[in-house]
Amino acid sequence: MRRLLSPRNLIFALFVTLAVVPFLANKYYVFIANLVLLYMILAVGLNLLIGYAGQLAFANAAMFGIGAYGAGLLQAHFGVPYWLALPSGALIAMVSGTVMALPALRLSGIYLALVTLAFAQFTLWVMSHWDTVTFGAGGFSPPRIDFGPLPLTQPNGMYLLSWLAAAGLIWFAWNAMGSRIGRAFVAMRDGEIAAQALGIDLLRYKALAFALSGFYAGTAGALYGGVLGFVGPEGFDLLQMVLHKAAVVMGGLGSIMGSIIGAVILVVLLEVIREFKATMEIAFGGLLLAFVLFQPRGIVDLLRRKLGWDERLHYKAGPDQTAPSEPTPAATRKPAE
Amino acid sequence: MLEISHLNVWYGVTEVLRDVSFQVPSNGIVALLGGNGSGKTTILNALSGLVPPRAGSVKFEGREMAGWAPDRMVKAGIVQVPQGREVFSQMTVEENLELGAATRPGGRQIQADIDEIYSLFPRLKEKRTKRAGSLSGGEQQQVAIGRALMARPRLLLMDEPSVGLAPIIVEAMIETLVGLHARGLTMLIVEQNVGVAAAVAEDAHVLKDGAIAYSGRAKELINNPEVLASYLGR
Repeated sequence: MRRLLSPRNLIFALFVTLAVVPFLANKYYVFIANLVLLYMILAVGLNLLIGYAGQLAFANAAMFGIGAYGAGLLQAHFGVPYWLALPSGALIAMVSGTVMALPALRLSGIYLALVTLAFAQFTLWVMSHWDTVTFGAGGFSPPRIDFGPLPLTQPNGMYLLSWLAAAGLIWFAWNAMGSRIGRAFVAMRDGEIAAQALGIDLLRYKALAFALSGFYAGTAGALYGGVLGFVGPEGFDLLQMVLHKAAVVMGGLGSIMGSIIGAVILVVLLEVIREFKATMEIAFGGLLLAFVLFQPRGIVDLLRRKLGWDERLHYKAGPDQTAPSEPTPAATRKPAE
Repeated sequence: MLEISHLNVWYGVTEVLRDVSFQVPSNGIVALLGGNGSGKTTILNALSGLVPPRAGSVKFEGREMAGWAPDRMVKAGIVQVPQGREVFSQMTVEENLELGAATRPGGRQIQADIDEIYSLFPRLKEKRTKRAGSLSGGEQQQVAIGRALMARPRLLLMDEPSVGLAPIIVEAMIETLVGLHARGLTMLIVEQNVGVAAAVAEDAHVLKDGAIAYSGRAKELINNPEVLASYLGR
């Protein structure tokens, strides 16, 4: 039974379920399922950066917005078809993300958080005030996306694209984190000096972490613009950043499976408390705080212990979670050492 | 194998290494001794590419490598076991070993190398799924050495391997170093413990205020009261 409930099998089952949603559910549920797919991409991308590579960055909502604006403005201003605007938006966000790696070479922790937050606020200001290019605070509607010759409506076509992007990006993240890229990210997170001593090029891997995270957020953004048929600055503010962080922390830092779980829970919660929009920031801020204090390794850690999951290179259980039969570290350590 | 000539390193406006020159022969073990702040670790950091030298030459196997980045140093075969072990405490023992191969492409060869590390340190095999942070100091030192060996070094730099370890664990570690030497590994060891240096190294250099103050056979050093008193505070 435990083998049946492995992370791989569960992800596979989830994607099979999501694949049949458009055939069984109404438009509302298709939209919600589409949001789940987009938040999975956002959470996995952010987790690569903060959970695996250990870079405390707060610019994910801005990258999400850059992807949405990049793709939307290319369509609106230059008539670029969506199939080209989508990867272009993702690439613009990736380049912006890579630029963010420059301060990360000199800064870490709270200082890096502040610089990336300033960048995010600056991006939001540009989106809201550069009227001639971004259409200002009112936002804009990109041209309608034509999926011809495929017999797809815009919602179903966007759903299919989101499903394919989420499946591809999660597959890539899963494999990349099991490869030398994941090993280098984790080494960098757990000790920069030790990582350098092992020959890990910090510049290269920090740039890669920011670039990958930017690409994931940009892809989600470019898809989001297509799903909503509208792009406006209010969707990429600080609350959006809190939502991304909440998905990652609730699910579990340094775990692909955790991000998937976090994204599903986040979107469901968003729908449940949608009636009380004014309390949303308080609710998610409080939730984030509660997880940091009481379940810092996220929901995935509970499932790991219940189901015996073994996801490589994730954060390990601390001494409080050592099996009772095992000696504690304090008991095994010799006093003289 | 390694030839350092007239090496100078500065931290800002402070000169921390002054005109340091010495050699490490192939399959040799050389010890660097000295008090705190004498520049021992800085030499290792300059050899690892963590600190750029301001002047001087670092030749490894005939190639000039002064100022190379850390990743190039590791790829060239110079790998450091840092002071205080610096194991990745959240990772399992096996993941730590895997991280030692961070610059190598994945595959069967990495697993074969991990198995070889386990044959060298059977204790690590028993604890392969345990968090490295939960191991004893001696076991963590084995993880740190094993992790460095995963990068397939030809020159192993060891920064104070005995620090913080109980005497019985230090003896086991000396045996490990001698065993690695017997397998053909060349080592440069920084130590404050003269006994460890005398037990494993052939040659030794004593540093004081960033310069080499005494050079000689390691085993003679332990019997030289003048050097012990003047430079090592014994």
